Amino acid sequence: MESADFLSILKERGQLPAPQAFFPPGATVSTGNGVGPAGVHTEGTTILALRYRDGVLVAGDRRATAGNVVVYDRAAKVLTVDDRSVLALSGSPANAYEIARLLEISFQHYRRTQLQELSLDGRLRTLSRLLKDNLPMAMQGIGAVVPIYITHEGSGPQAGGRIYFYDVLGANFETVDFCTTGSGSPIIRGALYFLNRWERPFAERDEAEALRLVLQMLETAAEFDTATGGFKSTAAIYPQVMRVTGDGITDVSDADLATHYASLQVGS
Amino acid sequence: MLDEPYRWVEAIHNRREYLEDQLEGASPVVGVSYVDGVLLLTSTPGPRKVFEVYNQVAFAGIGHPADIEKLRKAIIDIAHVEAFNLSAGDVSLQRLVAFGLGPLVKAAFDEIFRSPFISRVMVTELDPANPLETFYTVDADGSFSSSADAAVVSDTTDGAAAILEHLRGGDDREASLEAALVRALDAWAVGRARAGREPDEEGEEGVEPVTEQDREAAVRAALDAGRIEAAVLDRTLPTKTKFRLLAEADLEGALAPFR
Repeated sequence: MESADFLSILKERGQLPAPQAFFPPGATVSTGNGVGPAGVHTEGTTILALRYRDGVLVAGDRRATAGNVVVYDRAAKVLTVDDRSVLALSGSPANAYEIARLLEISFQHYRRTQLQELSLDGRLRTLSRLLKDNLPMAMQGIGAVVPIYITHEGSGPQAGGRIYFYDVLGANFETVDFCTTGSGSPIIRGALYFLNRWERPFAERDEAEALRLVLQMLETAAEFDTATGGFKSTAAIYPQVMRVTGDGITDVSDADLATHYASLQVGS
Repeated sequence: MLDEPYRWVEAIHNRREYLEDQLEGASPVVGVSYVDGVLLLTSTPGPRKVFEVYNQVAFAGIGHPADIEKLRKAIIDIAHVEAFNLSAGDVSLQRLVAFGLGPLVKAAFDEIFRSPFISRVMVTELDPANPLETFYTVDADGSFSSSADAAVVSDTTDGAAAILEHLRGGDDREASLEAALVRALDAWAVGRARAGREPDEEGEEGVEPVTEQDREAAVRAALDAGRIEAAVLDRTLPTKTKFRLLAEADLEGALAPFR
């Protein structure tokens, strides 16, 4: 039987060379200053996904950094994979975008050749393989990617909005209420836990309430993490926020974000 | 023995005859443009014959199901590798056929110790850069040709010519999907009814003309033996992929008179 796996097809054709270690084992390599295991560079950013009443809100700031330099302030870190799932990325942009691109095309290829959708477990496994293939780059401190995969399953035992996060080795874990990664994430993780546990569960909140909370968290991360960009009213740079619901994936518009920022008195 | 050139030519000739024999009786595939895109229609006793290749590219084939599947898989692989290496916008029908499918089928046809692809396929692209390349048909020997408004793959060249002639009379790119379905089904029925009617010794003039009753009988026979299958590339779809396999309800308007 011919391979239905797009990654294998690329490898067979020599168009997806496995990343090679640039340095011999034991060599000293510089590491980033992000949060993560020793020797692994976790890039500066804050991405966040939380389950609310109608699905999942996924958000990311727009800043891209290299060391202490702001390289770009309109980076897209939440990428649509297919009609029901998105990938929120923290890590090396080059590898992160390549992984997102491979994931999107792999799922399309599977659906078109096999005439059925790849199962959720199959999709999770594909992303794991991509991260595992990226390990040599991650271990050298130049190409780690730490994604969150968010999907809304239409039916079956896994129906509804689901959030999975990964480590740099490719292990995936499902989280029930919320997930945040990137250098700004430790700053807001405790606050998110507190609000969900003792204020009001996120799952009971409507979209407006959940959206305000997401924006507040991103602003909080930006306040304390230089690698996370905050809302800039002068340049009208808003974070990226997407809804993943049973109706599909939609962007929260800049106009909606502007309204919420105004009510939060951010950037005024 | 193939060192002798005439033996090779003879082998190729035999191979053409073999392919004609194998494809005889296959239900044609008809492709037409309509107001929102492109429609492909055929009949099948069971297995699907019309497929999505890429966001704006569709595929249909007649012949051996396993060979149709091989070619379908091949063109999907080529399209997705192209999309990965370049971009989705660089996946074009002209390149998929001229540098992918055509040479692949030709190579199999020429290697006389291997089985050829027992298949004729049609591929179509929604709004290609060159409108004259909306449809491509690829014959079992790898030769291919393009067309703008309509295309056919059939078991015989006579059948294909009869369908195209019938379509030529009612060419309408502004037709609704419902009207295009009726037109494509009618043309398909002409080809189906025409199958097996050999010209007599007096030539083409001797072929009995296809009547309305013949066309109705062809559609009814197809419904009795299986189903009519149709799909569209619809530019009004909000998704990246513009392919949609039509459901029973979509076809009901065109099929109701035959039930």
